[in-house]
Amino acid sequence: MSSERYSFSLTTFSPSGKLVQIEYALSAVAAGAPSVGIKASNGVVLATEKKHKSILYDEHSIFKMEPITDHIGMIYSGMGPDYRILVKRARKLAQKYYLMYNEPISTSQLVQKVAYIMQEYTQSGGVRPFGVSLLVAGWDSDRPHLFQCDPSGAYFAWKATALGRNHTNGKSFLEKRYSEELELEDAIHTAILTLKEGFEGQMTADNIEIAICNAQGFKRLTPAEVKDYLANVN
Amino acid sequence: MSIMNYNGGVVIAMKGKDCVAIATDTRLGVRSLTLTTDFPKVFQMGPTLFLGLPGLATDTMTVYQRLRFRLNMYELRENKRVRPQVFTSMVSNLLYERRFGPYFVEPVVAGLDKDGTPYIASMDLIGSYQEPEDICVAGTCSEQAYGMAEALWEKDMDADKLFEAISQSLMNACDRDAISGQGAIVHIVEKNKITTKTLKMRMD
Amino acid sequence: MEGLIGIAFKDFAILAADRMSAFSIITIKSDENKLYKLSDSLMMAVCGEPGDTKQFAEFIEKNIQLYKMRNGFELTPRSAATFIQRNMADYLRSRSPYTCNILLAGHDRETGAELYFIDYLATLTKLPFGIHGYGSFFGTSVLDRYYRYDMSEEEGTKLVLKCIAEVQKRLVVNLPVFQVAIVKKGEIKTLPDVKMTPIEVN
Repeated sequence: MSSERYSFSLTTFSPSGKLVQIEYALSAVAAGAPSVGIKASNGVVLATEKKHKSILYDEHSIFKMEPITDHIGMIYSGMGPDYRILVKRARKLAQKYYLMYNEPISTSQLVQKVAYIMQEYTQSGGVRPFGVSLLVAGWDSDRPHLFQCDPSGAYFAWKATALGRNHTNGKSFLEKRYSEELELEDAIHTAILTLKEGFEGQMTADNIEIAICNAQGFKRLTPAEVKDYLANVN
Repeated sequence: MSIMNYNGGVVIAMKGKDCVAIATDTRLGVRSLTLTTDFPKVFQMGPTLFLGLPGLATDTMTVYQRLRFRLNMYELRENKRVRPQVFTSMVSNLLYERRFGPYFVEPVVAGLDKDGTPYIASMDLIGSYQEPEDICVAGTCSEQAYGMAEALWEKDMDADKLFEAISQSLMNACDRDAISGQGAIVHIVEKNKITTKTLKMRMD
Repeated sequence: MEGLIGIAFKDFAILAADRMSAFSIITIKSDENKLYKLSDSLMMAVCGEPGDTKQFAEFIEKNIQLYKMRNGFELTPRSAATFIQRNMADYLRSRSPYTCNILLAGHDRETGAELYFIDYLATLTKLPFGIHGYGSFFGTSVLDRYYRYDMSEEEGTKLVLKCIAEVQKRLVVNLPVFQVAIVKKGEIKTLPDVKMTPIEVN
């Protein structure tokens, strides 16, 4: 195949103008666990699937949702180890910013800086692009923010979106369900329902993770809280 | 003689009711010899933000230029104006980066917040800052200026009274210092108005 | 121990520099050049540490000429002064600072003649007149008294001579020869050296 001739060096364009390694990274994301983000009038909700291969896993000891500062948190679809690198870098950037300006970093600034790092990994020697897309939720300037960050370094601001496996279905579901006046409680329900689209097996408090971000900051929901929401959905 | 007293100069900032004022002398000299009477040490850094940099004149210029650069980059990056508190932090960080070979300036920041709250701050040459409720003073006649400003400052002065207080403080402090004075400039910052006045004083 | 004098008038500026080159307490020579022509209407007088002055002045000179070649137009006096100041300030906080004092005189198409004063600390300021060295203690007061912005070339030249005379009379250091130049729009005119008459011995 002719595209294979251009697939070794990630800094070589194919004749059609594509960087195939970046496209493969996006494929890794599209094959990853689904995650959903919805911006409501008074906060943002992030939700993701967290399925384990064996019942022996201690599912409440590790988390996919990670806080970056008090008011920013993120989730990913794609490769877990790559994600942890970005979480570490994002936290460091946020702390550096706080020390420099004595003011918490805004969500858009953090996203810009993280996207910059992700771009660097598409143009540097000896590295490969990140196999993750991020959903970043934040609260600043008295309003909620929701961003997506791709392996290419591109970033988008969303009202609501879905990543990972089944993301096209998830997005069209959200297009039907989304409204501007949505409040956080309703948004959590919608997020769960979006995940439920194409969810294989029974959805429980043990195999999904939910986090919210509002004026009080970023917070992971406890399994008990998730259980309550699930009860209301069913 | 300290390097801080090589060129001479003084800056005062004061808080009023919904306004702030910052004043500078305009002398530049080499020890006791006056070179020029047209060297203000206060710079406008935003629509309602001023920075005073008394101290060694070469560092006044270098620190101003480097801060202007950082500020321009900040405003382009973030697409917003800098808050006075954030700016103070930027100045402090810039100075502390040179902890073991400092710029010989003692910055004074004065400005209004977005909602019109008065803000003043002053720091030493390595960036340790304070944000007082009344006055900030720095320069070769800071002792005299403290005495005057402390005596004349009152709570909740309006713009006119504030101008009078800061001008009298600066002029009378300069009169007791051989290397400060030779003209002065006062900026009064109100919510939607900046008044800049040149004081008439002894020029010899 | 050296002396540089600069005065800016309406549409011309005058630079004067002594011609002494000293080592410790000995005068090595009395025909040293301290005036550097940077362009058709820009001139710089430099004094200070002997090696540094030449090195730095030539560095500035060549870079300003390079700027003209690259861009097809010249730096204004203001820009040239800022360029010098930036370089000096950067060198000041490096391991090898340049110890030199500079007067920059030039003619700007819009603002007329200008004089910039830069000392070894990279302090930059625009002045009507300025003097580097111990001569400043005597010269500045003379200029304060007699300087006028609208003086003619003849009056201006006389004023510089007055300063030099005062320096030569009152300063303990011997500065017998001064070189003088006038900077105008598109032209730099070098005047004959100003010399003290030496004692004749048969």
